[in-house]
Amino acid sequence: MRFLELDEVTKEYPTRGGPPARVMDRVSLSVQEGEFLAVLGPSGCGKSTLLQMAAGLLPPTSGAVRIAGRPVNAPPPEAVYVFQQYSRSLLPWRSVRDNVAFATEHRLGRRRAREAADEPLKLVGLEGFGDHFPWQLSGGMQQRVAIARALAAEPAMLLMDEPFSAVDALTRLDLQSLVLDIWSRRRLTVMLVTHDVEEAIQLADRIIVLTNRPTTVAEEIAVALPRPRDPIATREHPRFLELRHHLLERLLARHAG
Amino acid sequence: MRVDRLLAPLSGLVVLAALLLGLEWAVEAGLIRRALMPAPSTIALRLWDLLASGDAMAPMMQTLRLVFTGFAIGSAIGIAAGLAMGWWPSVFRLLEPLVELVRPIPKSALVPPLMLFLGIGFAMKVTSVALVVTFPVLVNTLQGVRGVDRVMLDAARTHGWPARHTLLHLVLPAALPLVLAGMRISLGLAMVLAVLSEMLAGEGGLGFLILDMQRSFRVRDMYAWLVILAVLGLALNWLFILAERRALHWQRR
Repeated sequence: MRFLELDEVTKEYPTRGGPPARVMDRVSLSVQEGEFLAVLGPSGCGKSTLLQMAAGLLPPTSGAVRIAGRPVNAPPPEAVYVFQQYSRSLLPWRSVRDNVAFATEHRLGRRRAREAADEPLKLVGLEGFGDHFPWQLSGGMQQRVAIARALAAEPAMLLMDEPFSAVDALTRLDLQSLVLDIWSRRRLTVMLVTHDVEEAIQLADRIIVLTNRPTTVAEEIAVALPRPRDPIATREHPRFLELRHHLLERLLARHAG
Repeated sequence: MRVDRLLAPLSGLVVLAALLLGLEWAVEAGLIRRALMPAPSTIALRLWDLLASGDAMAPMMQTLRLVFTGFAIGSAIGIAAGLAMGWWPSVFRLLEPLVELVRPIPKSALVPPLMLFLGIGFAMKVTSVALVVTFPVLVNTLQGVRGVDRVMLDAARTHGWPARHTLLHLVLPAALPLVLAGMRISLGLAMVLAVLSEMLAGEGGLGFLILDMQRSFRVRDMYAWLVILAVLGLALNWLFILAERRALHWQRR
């Protein structure tokens, strides 16, 4: 069943004097329920714009976005956006627990929201850090807080905007395993945008490759690697190497041209 | 080096002590007429009398009450207007010309017209203090609201926060450092307008007393009240900085 659908979505920005600049040109894609989709493209290709439109945070100029069959005009309750810049999306004046309570406090009230924060904090391995402030944690731990916050809302879908690009390489592997684990345990639907070829292969069921601006869909590939995916063994799998070769060639060729 | 560091905070006090000793000497030597400036030691004695007898209490409380009430009202108006103007563009368009017109007027110049409407009582004085407090708080709150990170606001949206919740629990705390900085500026201005309106519409209070003592040639009393006023200003500022640090405890030191 199609959970999220983008139908001929186009985005234009007004320019001073001239005709509007088209940054995205009739992009259509869909994410199946329970699927892990990676959207891969070079930096600045409009991946975040695409994800923000899927999240109802940015209106498309034309085209339609549907989630669970309903048109998206405002952020839908089914999907939560996880931001790349954890340091800007967490509230610095709130403790870790209060940052996770952020997800539900307007529905449950502050007290029950704080109680409900324990479980997602445990899920991301941060039990015992509830009373810390974000600045007291490493970057990787702050992104765990952001993930816990998203999970606290109990969404059916996560929209992840390069969530691991601001942390070091080892932490990235760690967080990727964490997200895979949560995705399978909670039977989530995930759409993740990234410029990291290995990350896309490691995590996704399917990869959609975008072109440079104006953004269109260049290619769609089924990953077809067995699960569960070990962070080391999967990267040595012949299919992984084959996909990496193909995708890197594709992205690099486009840069050269 | 270590001695330097120990003495550093004291060096400022040394300057003060030297100044007082110099004044004392200048008065004793007849370089300054006693009618203009009595010796600091005699002012200190008078100050002690005022404090020990409890006579200083009522005027101090009167001025403090004026400063606090005006400061609270002005801050509340400034924060509310700044939030509304920063959050809703329509409110900004509505109020911006008015704010820009009234803001540059030295608020001391508004005391005479206020006396026409409100008389010389507490209402006039509180209004003039509130008026001078409002604008720095308003302008800083507006800046603070506009400076709230887009990503943070999007985080509230993706979690389905209603606008009112966002305004109270995200925008206001995010703007708080700037709001408090504006309030700190306003606190000093509140003292100025409180003293000035007490001088212009005398009914007691420190400002009234300083002027009254000068006019009745009780110079020593005048200086004693002046010292009380200075210490009060210092204490208020110090208290505010303490409160500010507490409110912003989460900021990285």
